[in-house]
Amino acid sequence: MKPKKEEQPITAQKAIKKAFLSLVSMMPMLLGVIGLIGIMQTYITPDILSKLFGYNLYADIGTGTLIGAISSGNPAASYIIAEGLLDQGVTLYAVTAFILAWVTLGIVQLPAEASVFGMRFSVYKNLLTLISTMLVAYFTVITLGVFTS
Amino acid sequence: MKKGFQFKGLKFLYVVIIAYVVLFFIENENALLSLQKALGILYQLLPIFLFIIIISALINYFLKPKQIIKHFGKDSGAKGVIYALLAGIISHGPMYAWYGMIQELREQGAKDSLLITFFYARAIKIPMLPFMLGIFGLAFTVILSFYILLFALLQGKVMGWLERE
Repeated sequence: MKPKKEEQPITAQKAIKKAFLSLVSMMPMLLGVIGLIGIMQTYITPDILSKLFGYNLYADIGTGTLIGAISSGNPAASYIIAEGLLDQGVTLYAVTAFILAWVTLGIVQLPAEASVFGMRFSVYKNLLTLISTMLVAYFTVITLGVFTS
Repeated sequence: MKKGFQFKGLKFLYVVIIAYVVLFFIENENALLSLQKALGILYQLLPIFLFIIIISALINYFLKPKQIIKHFGKDSGAKGVIYALLAGIISHGPMYAWYGMIQELREQGAKDSLLITFFYARAIKIPMLPFMLGIFGLAFTVILSFYILLFALLQGKVMGWLERE
């Protein structure tokens, strides 16, 4: 019996070409995101960030999540900023939400994400991530308190 | 009909270019600083792009739709969840760099619930763990990682319910 078309092996050359073209097709979106991150990093400085905290636990978690979501870059940068925020007296709840939102949420990437995956998937993904990030921050610090007290 | 090559996000790129042009006229120094930062990010990402091409090529070469569906598709079961978690943990680079590959998997039949699990599990950054340990300590790092994995699973479950509706 002749094998179905989708079961036939593709050559290594075709596999590389397909992977390369897939990335190239994404280039306008990637360059747009990178350009926007450059602008965000210029205008949202660590000093501005620290002024937004210090109200109550839930507000701090919300603020941490929001700021993490609009910031972006290497996760190492978020840890360095987080250390600075802790030194300035920002709660661990807020800082945890901040470092988590930094790597899981991306307001800057939203238009690009929706254009690739569709609006429905992007909305579900980001809503679930937003709720999870706030809950993970809350439970992490609560659990840490239980283990270290 | 066969889908031809098509750029994605062109309109978005035009908007960003216009933002830079406007910024150059309003705040020249900040525009140059932003551009400098963006080029720095692009430079840092170049090796990751190469890594993504290699991974995507390996997937294209070794995995056929049937195999992908077996791990990420409708009948993947618990094994699919474990694959999604592991793939999330070991993947590198920013999320947006993976969009192309993930969309390809979706088009080949991967379940959205497993992709949601994959995306959240990416919050665990293995190369960054020593850095996190140094700043936040072992207890914090372990507890945070545990909750990330737990909520990656829960998100997948919720997405599964939403998919069925």
